[in-house]
Amino acid sequence: MRVVLPACCFGFLLVATAALGQQRNFVSCPIVRDTKTVPCFLAEYEGETYYLGIQQDITSDFHPPQLKHEVLVEGRIAEGPRVCGGIPLRPVSISVLKEVNLACNTLLPAEPGIDAPAAPRGPGPSSHRSEGGVDSSKAAREPLTGRQEFTVLYAFNDDYLEYAGNQVVTKAAAYAKGIGASNVKVSGYRATSILSNGDHLVEKAGLAEKRAQNIATLLRGLGISHLMVEWSNDAEPGDGQTDPSRRRVTIVVTP
Amino acid sequence: MRRLALVGIFTLGIAFILSAQYQDRFKITWIEPGSGATLPEFDAFDSNEGTLGVLNASGPVNTEGHPFFTALGTNGRACVNCHQPTYGMSVSTTGLVERWRDTDGKDPVFAAFDGSNCPSLPQDQEKSHSLLLKRGLFRIPLPWPPKNADGSPKPVEFTIEVVRDPTGCNTSAQYGLKSADPTISVYRRPRPAANLKYVISGGQPIVLKTGMLADVDPETGNPVGMNLMSDAREPSLQTQALSAIMGHEEARVAPSREKIEKIVQFESQVYVAQQAHIFGGPLAVAGGPPGLGVAALRDHRAGVLGDNDYDPVFGVFTTWKDNDYYRSSVARGADIFMFRQFWLRDAAHINSIGLGNPLKRTCATCHNAQMTGQDLSAGWVDVGTTNYPTWTEPSTWAESSELPVFKITCSRDADPHPYLGRVVYTTDPGRALISGRCADVGSIVMQQLRGLAARAPYFANGSAKTLREVVDFYDRRFDMKLTDQEKEDLINFLGAL
Repeated sequence: MRVVLPACCFGFLLVATAALGQQRNFVSCPIVRDTKTVPCFLAEYEGETYYLGIQQDITSDFHPPQLKHEVLVEGRIAEGPRVCGGIPLRPVSISVLKEVNLACNTLLPAEPGIDAPAAPRGPGPSSHRSEGGVDSSKAAREPLTGRQEFTVLYAFNDDYLEYAGNQVVTKAAAYAKGIGASNVKVSGYRATSILSNGDHLVEKAGLAEKRAQNIATLLRGLGISHLMVEWSNDAEPGDGQTDPSRRRVTIVVTP
Repeated sequence: MRRLALVGIFTLGIAFILSAQYQDRFKITWIEPGSGATLPEFDAFDSNEGTLGVLNASGPVNTEGHPFFTALGTNGRACVNCHQPTYGMSVSTTGLVERWRDTDGKDPVFAAFDGSNCPSLPQDQEKSHSLLLKRGLFRIPLPWPPKNADGSPKPVEFTIEVVRDPTGCNTSAQYGLKSADPTISVYRRPRPAANLKYVISGGQPIVLKTGMLADVDPETGNPVGMNLMSDAREPSLQTQALSAIMGHEEARVAPSREKIEKIVQFESQVYVAQQAHIFGGPLAVAGGPPGLGVAALRDHRAGVLGDNDYDPVFGVFTTWKDNDYYRSSVARGADIFMFRQFWLRDAAHINSIGLGNPLKRTCATCHNAQMTGQDLSAGWVDVGTTNYPTWTEPSTWAESSELPVFKITCSRDADPHPYLGRVVYTTDPGRALISGRCADVGSIVMQQLRGLAARAPYFANGSAKTLREVVDFYDRRFDMKLTDQEKEDLINFLGAL
């Protein structure tokens, strides 16, 4: 048995190495795995389990899927060992599909040996003192100048502005006001996602307009009065690799 | 014989002293409009758990002619009818039942318009006011579809049908959904008109939970916190006061700006909190938990996030750990509130805003604003009190509830309710009656947790008669598996706020 187990693991490593960098785009029910700390979120595709991420805060880049809903996973197989029992996907885009699916209801208990990665915040109250919203990165320190394009990304078939998008819109409005922009153009798009099984998922008609109008409404509310708003009725084609980046609204601010 | 007489005199003396104490302890405290009383800077009232403190931070208040204490409409009501200091600037069913008895149902708090189950019912009968007397609920008539500020109808994402109408108001030809002025009647508790600097704090231009613009104060143009009303329909204290006078007081002429401002000034300086416990003694004591009592509310800064372990929602209770039975219990309850993990599940506007479903967290995740335990962001959440199947009403049709039931059917091109889908049965659509959004059905703005012991029953629909029933609801709803000791600790903690 001691001989067989390493051979088995070696075999797995070969498979994982061969798949490294491959894209995995699929729709399935998410699986929640409890741990001693925060839960992990997983999903299965073609008999394999993939690790999507852990519970974090609303300000994080990763927004976990939801039980009672299927999830569209668009991610790349990343280097490294399994996490929470799943092959890690990084980067990974998560889109919670809107319709309720009661079959998506798997919550696995914590098990010895299955640990979540270190979490910026545990399951209790936060221990991190607020930085007061001050971004000390180099990019934040350098003031923006000239024509700037800001991009708001969306989950599939969704027009909900997540926290990150909220920040982008706020930043774009502040920049436009700060420079007294002569022109602010808002462009909305909808897109196609190509799944690993070859299926094409196309975002619903009218979504590009809704996204663009929503952002324009926000910008007006933030004090930007002269806006040009446009949208494309056609869904952008997918490539199965970068599809999440086309579900977007761009805000182009011209001095 | 002489000895017997002395004993008798002594006994009478003791009885007199006790009687005086008893009368003081249960002093008549219902303030009637136009009574002209002066409210002291600090007053204390008996509550179920001990003593409620009421602090007028600006000093004594002369109510003579004061618009908060004067009937401004046509039904004899003033703001104070439903926002009594005795009952934490709200009103309890205990007080309402006493008031019915004392006035034979003639007090303006029982006005036909919204103090009865429906204005069309015979007003002299107690059963016509059963929702107010049993659950502390006032009728809130709301136009359907909802209207914009200019009176134009808002776009809506769902249809609404009345499937059960025990009060008769929603199917009434005069007051109902199919009347000439289509109206939905829901029934809700009045929120405490106190500690309001906390309640109105936290305005951000974009609402985190919806990704949409926050409402703005029509006078200042500034975004508002949207935590004032259970459905966030009024943006500011000024608009709320005006709406309440035109609605609840049935005024035919709008009050002057001066009167509105005087009401807002009064509301903005009054603080309520539990001040003493019946067995535990004074709560706001040197070296004790710093967040207890009214002075702490007066002095603390508003708009501070408390969902952290270094400056928690209601302050630290460390000094009460390993203290006497009551104080130790309160301290353990504070720890449960802040640290006891459980699976938050299927709660729209919590799990659905990017945090994941389920979410392994604590009470303080949602009740995160320091000093009040509201949500610092716009706080409407469908915690499950109004929507089937988790609603607080009896779960079988054989048992009766006096609340109406509505069937909500979401249009195909709208986002459905995130956990209940496109058809939802509800006793109160909550925020959705204002926003017109399907995802908002059953979402109610969470309310402050101060002065709770004085103003039962709880939840916006008055379904929990006691704090025990509140805790039991959460235990059941989120499968918290609280032990009896943990429940007692949580109840003691909540009762101390």
